[in-house]
Formats: sequence, structure tokens, C-alpha cells
Amino acid sequence: MTESKPSPNPPAIQVQGIRKYFGHLEALRGVDFELKKGEFLSLFGPNGAGKTTLIGILSALTRPSSGTATVAGYDVKEADPEMRREIGVISHASFLYADLSPLENIRFYATMYGVDQAEERAIEVIDEVGLRPRMHDRVRTFSRGMLQRLSIARAIVHNPSVLFLDEPYTGLDQHASEILKEQLQALHTDQRTILMTTHDFSRGLEMCDRVAVLVRGKLALWETVSNIDPAGFERQYLDTVDQAKEWR
Amino acid sequence: MNAYLSQVKAIVWKDFVTEFKTRELFSSMFVFAILVMLIFIFSINLSVVGANQVGPGILWVAILFAGTLGLNRSFTLEKENGCLQGLMLAPVDRSAIYFGKMLSNFTFLLIMEAFLLPVFMIFFNVDIGSHLGPLLIVVFMGTLGFSALGTLLSSLSSNLKTREIMLPILLYPLIVPIAIGSVRMTGQILDGKSLADMMNWVGLILCFDIIFISVSIMTIDHILEE
Repeated sequence: MTESKPSPNPPAIQVQGIRKYFGHLEALRGVDFELKKGEFLSLFGPNGAGKTTLIGILSALTRPSSGTATVAGYDVKEADPEMRREIGVISHASFLYADLSPLENIRFYATMYGVDQAEERAIEVIDEVGLRPRMHDRVRTFSRGMLQRLSIARAIVHNPSVLFLDEPYTGLDQHASEILKEQLQALHTDQRTILMTTHDFSRGLEMCDRVAVLVRGKLALWETVSNIDPAGFERQYLDTVDQAKEWR
Repeated sequence: MNAYLSQVKAIVWKDFVTEFKTRELFSSMFVFAILVMLIFIFSINLSVVGANQVGPGILWVAILFAGTLGLNRSFTLEKENGCLQGLMLAPVDRSAIYFGKMLSNFTFLLIMEAFLLPVFMIFFNVDIGSHLGPLLIVVFMGTLGFSALGTLLSSLSSNLKTREIMLPILLYPLIVPIAIGSVRMTGQILDGKSLADMMNWVGLILCFDIIFISVSIMTIDHILEE
């Protein structure tokens, strides 16, 4: 495999003209944006807009049909192992083995990422998400909220510089959402770039630096959060989506 | 290389811990293999047909059928909660995922066979004790080829809705050379022949083992992508 070297001081995420076809369906129709290191982007959009496809491409799970994208300076098409070490993904699927304990799961992923002292690091991140008292129980017995917290531990065990969160609040009650929000805020540091897709306007707006709306595979809105009125965002979002539906 | 080996080892370890906790795979494979043998025993009159003639075929049918159950479960486990996606996100060579899963399947099958062979000996009243060495070599070679191809096809069919049907449909025609070779060699070993007398079959099975493993390494990248 060709090793792709990151360019010096690259943007954390750079997307240029990304298109993705599934047969005749064009899921992404030329997406362009750039995120600097430490920025937090909340990406909104109706179901089927292409949000998950975009995260799939940026995390090198799916190949784009055309266009270029770099994450932490690495070309996503090369799917370099070094790039994978820079990325953590939290999705509505937990990626956790139901019959293993949290410690066994996180230690397993730590080994897969080549983390030194996998066991100690696994215990450390399980402790960070507040699940140490349950670290020997089977994951199958966990509630949705606990699973999502354990997903955070899995995603950060290798200390990635870029985090992709794909609708992390799906299926969580108010209490679990609040705990998740606090933990996501703790993850948002100057050194870590976060891209989160969500349908939850208040959660999305209170944590981010930038706001984007993706409709029918294209960015219909790109703003800094300071230019957004939280009270009027729902109306703005609906208008943006309605206008974008007229695109051909 | 060390990282590669520890990733393969971690996948095998994870499958073993899961099996140790659930005991789903081994019990279902073993019970199914026994049932297959029982059905054949009731349908065959062993006083008319020699056990050495029909026994090896029945033994290998039981192993292959029961093994298919295990292979079906192998990648289904990875699909639950999107775990395969989690593995694909990690900086893991796809062939390490393949080898990890293949070694798990191979070892589970060998353990099942270790329990099945004494049952076979009792059911068919054959003495395998005096031919144990060569018989174990044949079982090892046959199971290796079956696991190598089966793991690849299991990863392929795991993306399909009809995976339980598709796996045997894809697997059984391709495994024919190994199945025939293993049955013939087992029969000849039970007749008292040595491995040196059947080097053509040994060569055939080893060739297919190597072919199946090589093809798997070359294609697993494409199969696991998207």
C-alpha cells in the first residue's frame, strides 16, 4: 500500500467536490468545506440527505465516486493506517460485542489500534465515561445510554484528533442525553476536531463552532454559530430545506 | 509484523471469550454433527455395507454440515451492533481480520472433531486408535481447507439477506475436491494404509488449502469493503 504523508499544518478536514453514487442514486452531489484543528461542526439535514454517507467517506469506510477529501492531512482514498489512528467514530451502532464486558471490548479495540498498555488505557477511558463499576458486566445488559457512553470510550481509546459523531443522541432519554452532552463537551478540546450529525437543534447548536445543513447531497447552509439565532434556527432550517428541495 | 500478529491473536481471543461465555457455537455444531451421524446410521445396514466404506463419507458430511453452522455464525457475530464496521475503522490489515476469523473457525472445528471422532468410533465400531496419527493429519488438512474457504465465503454472504442459504450454495460445490480427498484418505487409513501410499491425495488437499488461503488473502480486501 502507498503511504500518504500528511502535508504540514493541514486543515483537520478538507472536502473538495465529493460525490458519491449508489447505482443511479447520487447520494452526495459535490460537497466542499474545510474545518480547522479544534473546530466543532454540527451538520443538520433531513433523513437521506447524505450525512452518514459523508461520515462514511471521511472515515475511509466508503470510497467517494469523485472529488477529494483529507482528514488530518491524509487522503481518505488511501485509507492509510496512520489516518485511521487519527479518527474516532461514534455512531448509533455501538460497534461493541454484546457478550464481552466493557473492559474486554475496549481492550480489544485498544489492541487493534496498537495502543501501548492496552489494559491500563482501557480502564482509564472506561473510568472517564463513568462505567468503571460495570466494567466486568456483559455489554448485552447495558441500557442505550450506557452503550453510547461506552461507545465514546471505544472511540477515544487511541486518542484520535478527529471525531465523527453520527447522530449520537438517537434513542437516548433526557438524562442519558445530558450525560452524553457533558462527555462530548469534555472531548471538545483545541486539539480535537469534531463533526457531528444530528437532528437535535438545541444540542447541536450549543456545542458547535460551525453549523451546516446538508440537503439532497449538497451543502445548503454553512455558517459560524455566532451568525445563527438559536431561537429562529428551526424556521431557518425548514426554509433552507424547502428551498434546497427545488434544486435539480 | 508484531502488531499484525497481536491483531490476529486479539480477534481469535475475542471469539474464544465470546464462545466461552455463550457456548452457543460448539454445542450447536456438536449436537448437529451427532444428529447427522445418527440419521445415517439408522438409514444404513452396517451388516451389509462395511463401516470402513461408508463411515468416512458420513463422518465428513457431519463435519462439513456442522462446520457450515459455525461459519454462518462467524460473521453474523461481527454484524451485530456494527462490530465489523468498528473493525474496519481500525488500522487493521483486512487479511488480519480474515486470518483471525479463519483461525477461530479452524480451532472451533478441530475441538468439535476431537469430540466427534470417539463418537464416530463407537457408532461405526471402527478402531481409529491404531491409525490415529495419519487420521489426525487428514482431519487437520481437510478442516484447514474448509475453514479457509468457508471463512472467505462467510464474509461474503454475511452482507446478504439470504446468508444462511447462500453460504452452503457457494461453499459446497467449491469444497468438493477437499471433501473427496478427505473421504478417500480417511477410508484408506481405516483400511490400514499409510499416508505414503496416498501422496497424490495429500498433494491435492494441500494444493487446495494453499489455493483457498491465497485467493482469500487476495480478495478479502474487496469483499470487506462496502
